[in-house]
Amino acid sequence: MKPQRVKTIRQLPIDGQALKRLIEAGLTWLRTNQQTVNSLNVFPVPDGDTGTNMVLTMQAAMDEISNSHETNFGKMAHSVAHGALMGARGNSGVILSQLWRGFARAVDHQEILDSALLAHGFALARDTAYKGVVRPVEGTILTVSKDIAAAAEKAEKYAIDPFDVLDEVVKEADLSVQRTPDLLAVLKEAGVVDAGGKGLFYILDGMLRFANGLPLDTALTTVQPLAAMTFENSLEAIEPGQDFEVVVDFQPANSLDLESFYSQLQEMGTSIQVGEGEGIYRMHIHVPTEKLYEPINYTRSLGTITKVSIENLIAQMEALGASKGSGGLTLAPVEPGQIAVVAVSPGSGISRVFASLGVAAIVEGGQTMNPSTQEIINAFENLPTDQVIILPNNKNIILAAQAAAGLTVKKVAVVPSRTIPQGLAAMMRLAPDNEFDEVVQEMTEALDSVESGEITTATRSVEIDGVAVQEGQTIALHNGQLVLAANSVEEACLGLLEKAHADHFELVTMFYGTDMPKTEVNRIADIVRDAYPEQEVEIQEGGQPHYQFIIAIE
Amino acid sequence: MTGETNPLGSIHVAPRAIATIAYHAARESYGVVGLAHKNLMNGLAQALVKDPTHGVEVHYDGAQINIDVYVIIEYGTRITSVASSVSNTVRYHVEKALGLPVNEVNVHVRGLRVSELD
Repeated sequence: MKPQRVKTIRQLPIDGQALKRLIEAGLTWLRTNQQTVNSLNVFPVPDGDTGTNMVLTMQAAMDEISNSHETNFGKMAHSVAHGALMGARGNSGVILSQLWRGFARAVDHQEILDSALLAHGFALARDTAYKGVVRPVEGTILTVSKDIAAAAEKAEKYAIDPFDVLDEVVKEADLSVQRTPDLLAVLKEAGVVDAGGKGLFYILDGMLRFANGLPLDTALTTVQPLAAMTFENSLEAIEPGQDFEVVVDFQPANSLDLESFYSQLQEMGTSIQVGEGEGIYRMHIHVPTEKLYEPINYTRSLGTITKVSIENLIAQMEALGASKGSGGLTLAPVEPGQIAVVAVSPGSGISRVFASLGVAAIVEGGQTMNPSTQEIINAFENLPTDQVIILPNNKNIILAAQAAAGLTVKKVAVVPSRTIPQGLAAMMRLAPDNEFDEVVQEMTEALDSVESGEITTATRSVEIDGVAVQEGQTIALHNGQLVLAANSVEEACLGLLEKAHADHFELVTMFYGTDMPKTEVNRIADIVRDAYPEQEVEIQEGGQPHYQFIIAIE
Repeated sequence: MTGETNPLGSIHVAPRAIATIAYHAARESYGVVGLAHKNLMNGLAQALVKDPTHGVEVHYDGAQINIDVYVIIEYGTRITSVASSVSNTVRYHVEKALGLPVNEVNVHVRGLRVSELD
């Protein structure tokens, strides 16, 4: 089936519709390798978003043409350039849109793409991109655009069809990207190649792979820099036949033939990744139990093994499942353009409530374990949207959340929820498709619609705001302020509800913490229900540490 | 003056020095084809000497560093993206060099340059 597709795209004249399919292929392949590109990002600002920015830019270009029936190549190229311009995100996205703009100019109104036109397109793309900056920095996507324009010009002379040119262009792009650390010192220091250049390579390579009938949905024969290899995804979902994770560091005796290396490994297992750095290769694979030693024996036949690490994934999954209670969370899927909410949650039960209200990402953290700015950024950076609202849900996390908002190119607002109940109240007002500023305002207003209570144990003797507390006593906080100390949890609960004038409200929701036995929770719930017969009292598992109860009164 | 005290004495960094860092960071930002002056009079005065802080103003009020950058952007690029890149890049480079947080970087787009290729 696949060889036939090769014939179709390569035999037909390259018109507007063919361009559309090529753009889609470039975008798909870039998206498949988005994380690799993100991990390379150290210049100009090391914020790890180059891949995401380039994907969003190409996605905007694709959106512009996805419903177009235009057959004129030049007109379609102009639409692509227009879409890329409108969606240009970040430095690399802007440069990418300039490349498309130059390319579109070169192919203006041409019905069909031929080799000479393609070479001309790469040349004008380069010229336009270089015009956009006073002092071009070499060793970036700009350099790659220059090198591939030169390669295209050379290849065009003997090419039979434009794909022969593309073939040479992709080869040169690969080499050019590998040379970027020699031109830009920051890259060399970090031991990476330029992220934007690599992204451009993936777009072009995706087009070529599509023309050659190669798959675009799985990152295969890619070699990453060692520093960029992360195996976090190995804990996400384990399919049958992925019992063990094997990672082998080795020095090949001769130069490594990647194609055959991969095809051998594919016989043994899945999730193959290969990294390289300073002559050492690292191979990562998931294998079934019966093939556990095959990858090790195989790599031993290729060279010297320096390190082997084997992990039992099944056991890991079980441990993970146990610690997270009843299974994973189902977070709300986010569409590009929608508003995504990131909530900080201190416990699994509260996370589940947030998830059920439509939160797109959860950051674990709370009173005694504030998440870092980076952890917050990581939570939303790879969501497919650029509009993000953060709910810190703790007054000590608001600053970190605001810092996170300042460190990304995404449009991020912090709705400064100081307590869990405030965060939940804000979530009730989320309308992911509405105008961003409006939603932020709505959610911020909602913060004051709820009274928050927290019941915890005093860790030291202190007197604050006229309330004297002995170490070990149970204390109640109303909207973050210490209001009373009591000798039992139920006394603290009742005192708090009184202070908060719970009898003027309708609903009391009590989230119980990890250190509260279920019988104790039920006993206290009955006491509260007796004291407030007019109010609805709901009991939910919160799973938070240190706090016996977090109480929302609304 | 932006200061920091260590056991051996104080370190003072003049706003002008900060401006130089910001100037270079802005000039290397993609989409920026030049820096402009806040007003014409300054422009004439500074045009006579080659000024490494041209188009950059640094304000330090004793607690916070605020930077204003006046740029000319290439016509045909997405201005908001370029401007936010400038802001990010300037902030990153100044903070990296100085080790002090920058409160805000304001990017003022003073003009566009149209470079027609054909």
